[in-house]
Amino acid sequence: MWRLSPGQQLRHRVWDRECALYNDLSGDTHVLGSDALAVLLALRAGAAGLPALALVLRRTADDAALTRLLADLERLALIEASAC
Amino acid sequence: MLKLGDLSARQLTSRLADDGLYLETGRFVTRIQSSIPSVAHGLGLLYGDYPLQQAAQFADFHLRLARPANGRRWFRPQVVLFQDGNSRFRPLPLAHAFPMFEWGLNWCISSRAHDYLMLHAAVVEKDGRAAILPAPPGSGKSTLCAALVHNGWRLLSDELTLVRPQDGHVLPLPRPISLKNGSIALMRDFLSDPVFSPAVIDTHKGTVAHLKAPTDSVLRHAETALPAWIIFPRYEAGADAVLTAVGKASAHVRVAKNAFNYSLLGGRGFDTLADLIDRCDSHEFRYSRLDDALATFERLRPGQP
Repeated sequence: MWRLSPGQQLRHRVWDRECALYNDLSGDTHVLGSDALAVLLALRAGAAGLPALALVLRRTADDAALTRLLADLERLALIEASAC
Repeated sequence: MLKLGDLSARQLTSRLADDGLYLETGRFVTRIQSSIPSVAHGLGLLYGDYPLQQAAQFADFHLRLARPANGRRWFRPQVVLFQDGNSRFRPLPLAHAFPMFEWGLNWCISSRAHDYLMLHAAVVEKDGRAAILPAPPGSGKSTLCAALVHNGWRLLSDELTLVRPQDGHVLPLPRPISLKNGSIALMRDFLSDPVFSPAVIDTHKGTVAHLKAPTDSVLRHAETALPAWIIFPRYEAGADAVLTAVGKASAHVRVAKNAFNYSLLGGRGFDTLADLIDRCDSHEFRYSRLDDALATFERLRPGQP
């Protein structure tokens, strides 16, 4: 399961297909693609597992790109693994 | 209101050495004290159009430039800058006293004026629309700014862009334009009758000189402007003048990297910058010839460069 890192408010602005998002924990601003934003917005509704997130992106749960995307978002401290 | 230029040279020197000048630049008042002749000379040369507040009124910043009371008063003489009575800066050679005042005032504003989103950027205005030029040192930002403000654009600032979060307006901070090295001779040739402070060599930035701000820009220091363009300038020897559109999300991150207090303002900084990006067209601007650069800026129209 994955969830938003506590404290992240997902303050963002979308222009064309890109999004600028403010990281409340680091003070950085990231340029994200539409898939990353979709995952973050899905997690704002509550913690979710790989199958549910894959559904959001219309992919399969074993999709390597989705795994990489989650790892990237975790490295930026936007999301974190959740026990439940 | 009394202007600095209304004082005789003797009055200027005397006031500076005594209670100090309460100099108004944009929305800031700075109390300046110094008995160093080059400080009085530089102020007299470049700040004649600026209003002086009455002594003992509130000042945002208190700066005093003095010669140290040790052996360096005579041997390789130095200047020390005191801010609010404290010396926070390394002493510099005495010949650097006037640029030290300019750098010290920049430091005061950029480290204190957190009511605004502060960008390391020049900003100029024409017909009510401002163009913000964020760029690192060496990109030709100040040279381009100097050329623009002597060719129909109003100087809001050559160094510090202050964006008001409430409404996105840029607050003018018209002060002398800092030019370095080859840009000094270039602008002496390019402009007709420019007024420069004496060039100071061997500073940490090389040779520096300050160019007097146009009188009209100083007189209109209370007139804010809404930004319409963000232009990232880059001088490149031999290059034709070319504008290239920059995506808004990328522009947001690039401007944030040129901000003094973006992270400090937190979410408010993000929202202020995002609103700025929303209302502006963003471009990279590569150029080498100032005439071409001026022609390109002349063609700028909101929504269609």
